[in-house]
Amino acid sequence: MNHLTDETLNEYLDHELADRASAETHLAVCADCAARLAALQALFAELDSLPEEALSRDLAARITPRPSLPAALPRWLTLTATLQAALVVIAIIAAAPFAVDLVSPYLVTVQMPSLTEIVVQFQSQWTTWLDMLSTFRFPAMPQLPPLEISSLMLMIMLAGVSILWLVGNGLLLRKQA
Amino acid sequence: MTAPTDRDLILRARRGDGEAFGELVTRYQKSVFNVCYRMTNERREAEDLTQETFLRIYSRLDTFDLEREFGPWVRRAAANLCLNHLESQKITAELDDDRDAGESSQPESVVEVRERSEQIRVALASLPAHYRAVVELRHYQDLSYDEIAGELHIPLSDVKSHLFRARKLLAEKLK
Repeated sequence: MNHLTDETLNEYLDHELADRASAETHLAVCADCAARLAALQALFAELDSLPEEALSRDLAARITPRPSLPAALPRWLTLTATLQAALVVIAIIAAAPFAVDLVSPYLVTVQMPSLTEIVVQFQSQWTTWLDMLSTFRFPAMPQLPPLEISSLMLMIMLAGVSILWLVGNGLLLRKQA
Repeated sequence: MTAPTDRDLILRARRGDGEAFGELVTRYQKSVFNVCYRMTNERREAEDLTQETFLRIYSRLDTFDLEREFGPWVRRAAANLCLNHLESQKITAELDDDRDAGESSQPESVVEVRERSEQIRVALASLPAHYRAVVELRHYQDLSYDEIAGELHIPLSDVKSHLFRARKLLAEKLK
């Protein structure tokens, strides 16, 4: 008579054995296999008897998950903000020499001009600046034709940058609210 | 007023309600702790792993299938976390006979039960990490062989061999 293998006995107790009937038929007549099964059952009972232990501390009070972080800004908004920052830096760099020219005469002469004079001076500088920009030419590159910027184009570009800046900041502030 | 269901608490926790998640921790911390304690046989370590289990669960709440039961999901996650922890620590079993010192005033039967429980825990802790994991999932979480294989990402044949060898080792240690 072939005895049941350890694997068969394990699977029988785990309810994973396909042919339970033939195993039970064998167990009914084989004291040796029945004893091995009883020993395995005793082990199962020992494992089942292991009591649940209590915690020494309440973890619920200790586990306080961080509030969920605000969702990341959309990619297009991040790009807008980056572009906006880059334009501002370029504008500041471009305006710096003119600003120095504008301010330096007043630094030398202590005499305070009237408001009208300041406005006229500013207008004059502004016109000069626009003229300079409109006639500005990039150094001629061998491959590229010289780039000309008209006053109209310059105004459109400035308006575009301003709108971009306003829209970008508006969206960022609304996101934070 | 009836207590909120697990499903309600999970939905609230997903929206960032820390109190709702705290309630889930209260409900399941004991059973999760016992998974970790059976796997490690170290109380402090088990509590730390229980805490770690809940923190990980929180970050994965969105992946939980609301049609299933929360408890078994957390306990399986705990068993996996413990297995990874044991494998990374390369823990070797150590007998710790001092654990129940100072309890001699208890009735004899209580002491006997506790001593036998301790022997079982020590025997479990002496098993290789993968053997411990299959015993935990089969005996204490009632998973089928197929489910254990899926949970631990191991072949069905390994589940059987780990389980049968683990039982053989346990039987020898608990004689």
